[in-house]
Amino acid sequence: MHHQWLKIASVRWVAPAIALLLTSVWPGAADALPLFARQTGQNCVACHTGGQFPELTPYGRMFKLTGYTIGERTTPLSAMVLASSSRVANTSKSDDPASDFQKNGEALVATASVFLGGKVTDNIGAFAQVTYDPYASQGADGSFHGHSAADNIDLRFADRFINPDHDLIVGISVNNNPSVSDPWNTAAAWMQYVPVPSPTSSAFIDGAAPYPGFAAGGNIAGLTTYAFWNRMIYAELGAYMSSRGALSFMHAGLAPGDLTKLRGLNPYWRLAWNREWGPHALMVGTSGMSARIYDDPLDTSDTATIHHTRDLMFDTQYQYLLDPHTVTAQLVYQRSHHSYPGFLANQPAVFVDAFGNPMPNTNSADATQLLRAKLTYTYQAKYGGSVGFFNLTGTTNTANQTSGNSPDTLTVTSDPSAAAPSARVFGNLTGNPATRGYTLEVFWTPVQYLRIGAQFTAYSKFNGAASNYDGFGRNARDNNSLFLYAWAAY
Amino acid sequence: MPPLEINMKHVILAVAAAVALAAAGCSNPSRSRDIANPNVSALTLAQQVCSNCHGVTGVSTSPIFPHLAAQTPAYIESQLREFRSHDRSDPAGFEYMWGLSRGFTDAQIAGLADYYSHQAPARTAPLSNAGWIAAGEKIFKEGVADKNVPPCMACHGAAGQGNEAFPRLAGQHMDYVVKQLVVFQRSDERPKGAIMKTVAHELSPDDIRNAAAYVQSLAGDH
Repeated sequence: MHHQWLKIASVRWVAPAIALLLTSVWPGAADALPLFARQTGQNCVACHTGGQFPELTPYGRMFKLTGYTIGERTTPLSAMVLASSSRVANTSKSDDPASDFQKNGEALVATASVFLGGKVTDNIGAFAQVTYDPYASQGADGSFHGHSAADNIDLRFADRFINPDHDLIVGISVNNNPSVSDPWNTAAAWMQYVPVPSPTSSAFIDGAAPYPGFAAGGNIAGLTTYAFWNRMIYAELGAYMSSRGALSFMHAGLAPGDLTKLRGLNPYWRLAWNREWGPHALMVGTSGMSARIYDDPLDTSDTATIHHTRDLMFDTQYQYLLDPHTVTAQLVYQRSHHSYPGFLANQPAVFVDAFGNPMPNTNSADATQLLRAKLTYTYQAKYGGSVGFFNLTGTTNTANQTSGNSPDTLTVTSDPSAAAPSARVFGNLTGNPATRGYTLEVFWTPVQYLRIGAQFTAYSKFNGAASNYDGFGRNARDNNSLFLYAWAAY
Repeated sequence: MPPLEINMKHVILAVAAAVALAAAGCSNPSRSRDIANPNVSALTLAQQVCSNCHGVTGVSTSPIFPHLAAQTPAYIESQLREFRSHDRSDPAGFEYMWGLSRGFTDAQIAGLADYYSHQAPARTAPLSNAGWIAAGEKIFKEGVADKNVPPCMACHGAAGQGNEAFPRLAGQHMDYVVKQLVVFQRSDERPKGAIMKTVAHELSPDDIRNAAAYVQSLAGDH
C-alpha cells in the first residue's frame, strides 16, 4: 500500500497523467479544481488576480496568512505541468551551438510539479511543491536525465483574533525558502512567474534574467513568526539554518553538493504597510536577510571558508481588481553585499591584459543593485499582457571573469589546451555583472486551469557589456529570446 | 529509471502527524474557518471567513463584494440558500459563494442573516457624479413611465432600506448594483429575482448607471 502511494506520487507519472486527465474531463472540468479551490469550493480568480498564478488577491492573502485553513479538508494533492519552447535570437557565435543552445526552438515538457497540502486542522495548513525537471542533467552520451526535488514548502500554524475594532492574525511558518511565507508577489520567492526550463536555450528567457533573491537561496530550513494587524501592518521575523535531521525533507532530492550549508541561525525580517480602498490595494514594504554560507557544502569544518551576505529589499505592489479588469504594478529594488572568505579574496586573476600584465586581484567583497518592475493587465481573467524591466548593476571583480586574455597566448581563446581558456556565449569578459533588458508578454487563459503565453525578452546589456560581452563578439541583443509556453494545473 | 529521489516518506509522515493532531481533537470552534462544521457559530463564520471580503460588520471595502450590513434578514437568508443550491448562478455568485456556502446548515444561514441585519450600514459612499445621482433619483422615485419601469422605492422602500425579500439598496456599491441589474436584464441566473427581469428589461445602460449611483449615495442611517 505504502509502496503504491509512492508510485502514484512519482512525478514521472505526472505529465502524461495530467494530459490524459485534462483531455478526458475537459468539458466537465468546472467541477474538478486544484487543491485549494476544492478546499474552498471557490473559483481560482477568488485568490489569484485575474487567474494569474501565483499572484494573490487581497482575499488570497488572507487565505494564506490564516494558514490555508479556510474551507474544508479535501484531497491534498494537485499537479501542474509546463510545456514550452525557447528560441534564442543568434546561435551562430558559438563553438558548439548544439551544446550552448540545447533544444533551441524545440517543444518540450519542461517541468512538472505536484502540490501537497491544504487545511489540516482549524489552525494548521500546508503548501508543499515537488518539481520534476526532465532536463536536470546530461549524460556523457548527451541524453538528458530527469530529477525531482523539493521546491517551495510552507507549513503553517495560524490564529486570528477579530472583532469590529481589531483584527490580528498571528502565525508561525516552517519553510525552506526565505520569503516563501510572504503573501505579496513582489517578495523574492514569488516574483518569479514561470518555471524556467533548464536546457541552455532557455538560459536567456525572462525567468532566467536577474530576479530579486536572497543569497542563501532555497532548500534551507527556517522558522518565522508573523503578525498582520488590521490588514494594515505586516511584520515577520525568523531565522534560517541548514536543513538537516528531521527537517531534511526541506531539501529532498538535492545532491549534497547542491545544498546550501549555513552557519548557525541566519536572520530574516519583513515589514509591510498595506492599504485597501475601493477596488485598489497597495503595499509598500521592505525585507532583508543576513547569511553566513559555507563555500563548500561538503566541508563545513572551517569557519574561515564562510561567505557573508546581506540582502536588503524595498518592494511595492499596487493592484486594481474590478471585473472585467485587473491591473498590477510591481516594483522591487534590492541591494546586496557579499564578503568573500579569505582564501577567495584578493587572489591573483586568471586572465591578463592584452600586454600580458596581470589583471587586478579579486575583490574581498562585492555589492550589487537590482531593479525589477512589472506592469500586468488582464481582461475577463482570460486575456492578458505584461511589460517588465530589469536592471542589475554591481562592482567589477576579476573573479567574475570567465573570459579574457590567456597568459600564454595573450588572446581570448576557447582552446581547452590554453593556460586560461575562455567561455563563449556564457562568458564574462568585463568581470562586471551588469545585465539590463525588458520583457513583453501576452497570454490567454481559455479555461482557468490552462494558460498559453508568448514572452519576448530583449537585452541591452549582458554580463557587463552591450557588445562583445564574452570576448568572442557576442552582443547582449544576440541573447534576445522568445519563449512560448502552455501551463496546466489539476 | 532512477527511484524518486525526494523522500516522500518524510513529507507524508509530516502530514500524517498533523492529521493525527487534528484527530486528537485539535479543533478550535470559536475561531475556526471550517465551512463544513455545523458546530461553528454564525458569528465565528462571519468573523473568520466572511469578513475577508464583506468586512467584519458587513461593510465591504471592495465593490466586488456587496455590503451586507443592515441588509434584510429574509434577503440574506434566501441568497445564501440559493448559493448553496446553485439556483443563483451569476459569475460573482458561483465564483465566490457556491463553494463557501455548500456546507452551511440552515441554522448557520439564519444566524448569518441575523448577524448582518443588525449591523450598522455603511456610513459614507464614495463620491460620484451629481448628474447621475439626480437622474437616478428620478428613476428611483418615479420610475420611467414610457418604458414601463416602476419606481424602485415601490418595493425597496422610500429610503432604499429594503423590505423582507426586497433587498436594502441604500449605500450599496454602485458597481455591484450595475452588475446585478445587468444580470437580471440579460440572464436567468437569478430565478428568484425574476421579477427584476421585467422591471429592468427596458432600462438603458445610462439608466442603470444613474439608478445605481443614486442608491449608493443613500449611505447612512435609514
